[in-house]
Amino acid sequence: MLEINNQYTLMKRRIDSEVLKAFFAGNLESVVNTLPIKIIPRDREPNRCCVYKERAMVRYRIMALLGVDIVDDDDEFKTLEMYVKEALEETPSILPTLTTITPGCGSCPDEQYIITDSCRGCFARPCMANCPKEAIVFINGRAKINEDRCINCGKCLDVCPFHAVIHVPVPCEAACPVDAIHKNARGVVEIDRDKCIHCGHCSRSCPFGAIAERSALLQVAKMLSEKDEVVAMIAPAIEGQFPGSLSQIISGLLALGFSDVVEVAQGAHITAEHEAHEIQERLTAGAPFMTTSCCPAYMQLVDKHVDTLSEYRSKALSPMAYTADLCIEQRPDAKLIFIGPCLAKKVEAAQIASIDAVITFAELASLFVARDIDIKEMPAAPEPIDSAQFADCREFALPQGVARSVVRRSRSPISTMHIEGIDKKTVRIMKTWTKRPPEANLIEVMCCEGGCLAGPGVLVNPKIAQRLRRGVNIATVGAKPLGGN
Amino acid sequence: MARKKIKVRICVGTACFVQGGADLLLYEDFLDPQLLDSCDIEGSSCLVQCKTDDPHWKAPFVEVAGIVYPNVTQKRLAELIEEAANA
Repeated sequence: MLEINNQYTLMKRRIDSEVLKAFFAGNLESVVNTLPIKIIPRDREPNRCCVYKERAMVRYRIMALLGVDIVDDDDEFKTLEMYVKEALEETPSILPTLTTITPGCGSCPDEQYIITDSCRGCFARPCMANCPKEAIVFINGRAKINEDRCINCGKCLDVCPFHAVIHVPVPCEAACPVDAIHKNARGVVEIDRDKCIHCGHCSRSCPFGAIAERSALLQVAKMLSEKDEVVAMIAPAIEGQFPGSLSQIISGLLALGFSDVVEVAQGAHITAEHEAHEIQERLTAGAPFMTTSCCPAYMQLVDKHVDTLSEYRSKALSPMAYTADLCIEQRPDAKLIFIGPCLAKKVEAAQIASIDAVITFAELASLFVARDIDIKEMPAAPEPIDSAQFADCREFALPQGVARSVVRRSRSPISTMHIEGIDKKTVRIMKTWTKRPPEANLIEVMCCEGGCLAGPGVLVNPKIAQRLRRGVNIATVGAKPLGGN
Repeated sequence: MARKKIKVRICVGTACFVQGGADLLLYEDFLDPQLLDSCDIEGSSCLVQCKTDDPHWKAPFVEVAGIVYPNVTQKRLAELIEEAANA
């Protein structure tokens, strides 16, 4: 997977900010057609073949920001202005969340192992000896792979003493835990939407930026500018994502125009209580284990691919769902926006009537930039009065954080284990659990390696985020001594 | 020869922070220890450079020895400090 901040993600944020700036200035419709030119000026040194292709990609990015499904609804005769008009008039559904920009796809060559010029044509020939399919031949004293026979097992790469074998993956295909993304007959990317669990691993892995997330950002900006009663429900991972404390981030959200800010850690407390109670009941009834249920990508994984686990996962609702209930009790007419690190949450939220939209931290950042809100200079918002009850659930964002919160609320001791990062291998392991139960009572599953703090919608390296979460001042956060990461 | 430490201020205004400035705060990881020793680095309030429309004058900004530089990456920061150290 690519780093959190790379040329592509930074460009994405830049585009989002420019669109929002124009929206808040009230002239989005009149400037949007020329925004790609403003963002990619003629004298820019392009990363793609030329500035014109880069501009075309900016156009697609803006369409994704408007919520357009690029795969099905890309009308080349339609100007961005027309798309903006439509997006402002009606609230489009943004499901399915992931869409592909096929002209951006690099049409990467099929996954393969290649023997490079570093092959010395040695006498021992470990590549040949270890190949299970006799796919290695020697021509002119050099090893060569017979592609018809090769099964991409990678044994030759492991054993070559000269590191002469290289592995060329298709990044999106390699990242997808459920084989939902492939190159089609034309050699360009295609997502099988029946299989997709919306983890976002593919979009974070594509170095061409050919996989885009459809956004609700403009809809949220519209609600804010129309002064609707809008409540921000902030995921526990938000602390550390912006240059200030959690309470400063809350002040920043209020400054953006949100009527209220509610921590989803409140709902996480209810989830943890529920799971603590539920696991005792299940263990008493003789069940070998229970998995958590708060990661929406894991929930989709079970629904679509590992049906056998559906009776083993907790019946607790997600922290977001409980928090939405709490919010609606207090403000029945408010619009609820979930702000988190996650793309799969967009799918989960679509099934909860009270939630109006989901945006990511990276998208929120563009709102802050467009409205010139400097988190570092924000006053601290008062700590919620009842925070002692749920403060420990802010840990839900971290690997093992959910399990620890459940253990703290459990009356008798339970053993825990955590799955951090769903990939092809962990999916295979999960499929065996009903036959060979894992050796723990509570299995915490998080789809992203590094937990929600490393989700597809974050913008800060978890190392820095962790330090900020520990209360280190932003001015000195990069400096030692902090110990560990 | 004891030299005065080079003053480095990494802008942590929101615009810089989200445009890659956050990664510059990992300087303990990517700067050469000797280089690290030659400077005093801090996260600074907004340097008020982000308000222009110049397409080349973009966040993240860093001030090294009193001069502000745009579009600073980890690699560029190392170069800038090295240049200042050898000046």
